[in-house]
Amino acid sequence: MKKFIYFSILSFFVLFCFPHVTVAAEKPIVIGAPLSTAFLYGWDAERGIKLAADEINAKGGVTVGGKKRPFAVEVIDTRDLEPGVPVSEALLALEKLILEKKVDFIVGGPVRSEAALAAMDLLNRHKKVSILTTGVLTPAYSKRVEDNYGKYKYCFRNTSHVGVMMNEFITMIEDLKKGHNFNKAYIMVQDVAHARGGGEAMKKALTSKGWTVIDMKIYPTGTVDYSVGLIDAGKNGAQILFLWMDMPESAVLLKQWSDMQLKCLPIGFVNAAEQPGFWKASGGRGEYLIVNLVNGGNAPAKITPWTMKFVEAYKKKWGLEPEGYGTSSSYMAVYQLKDAIEKANSLDPDKVIKGLEDSDIMGVYGRMRFDKKSHQIIPSFDPKEGAVTGIIQWQAGKRVQIFPPKLAEGKVLLPPWMK
Amino acid sequence: MEILVYGITNSIILSLMSLGFTLVYSISRVPNFAHGALYITTGYITWLLLNKFMGFPYPLAVISAIGITCVIGALIYRFILIRIRGMEISEIIATYAIGLAILEGLRWGGLRGMTFTLPTFVAGSMDILGINIDYQRIIIVGAGILTFLLLYLFTHFNRVGLALRGIAQDERAAMMLGIDSDMTAIVSLAIGSGLAGFAAILLLPLGNIIVEAGYNVLIFAIAVCVIGGLGSWGGTIVASFIIGFAQILTEKFLSSHYTMVVALLAIIITLLIKPSGIFGKQKELEERV
Repeated sequence: MKKFIYFSILSFFVLFCFPHVTVAAEKPIVIGAPLSTAFLYGWDAERGIKLAADEINAKGGVTVGGKKRPFAVEVIDTRDLEPGVPVSEALLALEKLILEKKVDFIVGGPVRSEAALAAMDLLNRHKKVSILTTGVLTPAYSKRVEDNYGKYKYCFRNTSHVGVMMNEFITMIEDLKKGHNFNKAYIMVQDVAHARGGGEAMKKALTSKGWTVIDMKIYPTGTVDYSVGLIDAGKNGAQILFLWMDMPESAVLLKQWSDMQLKCLPIGFVNAAEQPGFWKASGGRGEYLIVNLVNGGNAPAKITPWTMKFVEAYKKKWGLEPEGYGTSSSYMAVYQLKDAIEKANSLDPDKVIKGLEDSDIMGVYGRMRFDKKSHQIIPSFDPKEGAVTGIIQWQAGKRVQIFPPKLAEGKVLLPPWMK
Repeated sequence: MEILVYGITNSIILSLMSLGFTLVYSISRVPNFAHGALYITTGYITWLLLNKFMGFPYPLAVISAIGITCVIGALIYRFILIRIRGMEISEIIATYAIGLAILEGLRWGGLRGMTFTLPTFVAGSMDILGINIDYQRIIIVGAGILTFLLLYLFTHFNRVGLALRGIAQDERAAMMLGIDSDMTAIVSLAIGSGLAGFAAILLLPLGNIIVEAGYNVLIFAIAVCVIGGLGSWGGTIVASFIIGFAQILTEKFLSSHYTMVVALLAIIITLLIKPSGIFGKQKELEERV
């Protein structure tokens, strides 16, 4: 009988106390990821965040208050990249993450500029530190932080914006001018704020550098025929075709350019041409296109020792190369957050903000540190100095890093019909 | 010259997008708001047959996909629309809901991203009247003209086609002559869906298969039909040419920025001047009164 009692007590202890040991493992630090998950900039960011969180958790987690705490990731679909979805949808999604899911930090989106700008007040109200990693290219985001630090200090961005990208484009196009005697450009952009802004800035910059800008065409989202513009570009002897579009229909433009064999090199920010599957999907007609992937590491490249490690880890986990913009930055944001929390030794927002401002790590696309006033990642053409872009050209079906020159793995190639 | 070449191409693309919508409405009086969804469905089925069932030849994949879309169209009428036929608001809500369910279902099921494409029938381009145009667009123009011709012959010299026209002209009189109204509606939904699918097979190789294209196709189909006159086949073709050329002229002489506005502006003007559309017969008498 005694044996039975001992056995029962032991069983009770094992059954009810042992699970408590597991549950008693440290409470996770919850990262909320508001992303437009049906789109490349959403799903690739989600994969980047989850990969980083898994890697950190596998190494024990984040050291805070003398304990190792794991990261948990809560993703919510903001739908803000879907046409016709109002900004309020993204704000509701973000608020749900904060109030219902009780997330500690925000990483990722909202993805569309309008939604991200509107979300800044929400982040301030709930005192949630956020690192924006994808989609939002407006310089207004970091400018707002700079202009009103006290209110928007919770907002960080570890990816680029139009102003930085413009400098990269101009430097690269000027190199082409020297190498190939180019001096005529044609601009085609989508009718959305960031693209129009990019097109206008490029027109002004090229003109000031002595280029002839033949015309700038603005196409409404959903346009499926670009023949008039392309014929115009061809007739007037354009040598550079500068594009800024994030609509899927831009694939039509590239196919038309290739079929017409226009004697101009397409360069730009073209969402449709970022994914590794683009070349096959375009039937090889995407060859020679130059695309800005915004940050290095969104395609295979040798920027820092971490770049290819990240690419390989991504391939191992998700079965394909990083697909485009938003991947490496989302991945790095989790590591930056870890670094800041450990520096702060707390989850207190003000301490973590200080931690992020002091954070300085060599990441996937160079040295990762935020400007203390604007909370914008500091860019550079040198990975030892700052965050480096990933400008690639499609060459024989592969995305080859061609800029900045220091990190180029291939030269810019011209289509045979341009020679 | 590019205005002529690309104006014709653009117009035929628009008429191909909207022909199925017009056909269904003219015969069954059902405004098929699932038209855009059926368009994308055909493209996606073809892509699946080509890429997931290795070795499926392109022509066979195309024929199978159009066939499947025809069946889907017929089933939509047989199991859903038949119960609400004649209730106009319910028809609109039901077809729009079906379209939404299909499109968002496709997105949920994996149709995301920009790498879903169909190969062009022939790659490359040639010069016509000094203007470079790709072979796929030339094929579209040829196929479009052939489709108009075949539809004309079908509805004027074929028993089924004549029955469809009979119902379109006067349903009660046609029924008195022994034509089954529901059966013709099923046939019209099947053919209309097939035409949406046929347009998809021709047009999707120009770009990529994306859910958003389904919504765009529906918008253009409605714009063309409102301007041409709901249910008027001739009106559809005329309206396609009006919008098609207006868009090219706008881009050439005004700004590419306004090309989408052209279609919407044309709808507003049509509704102000002649709400039944250029060739619309519906409620024409009431309008005159």
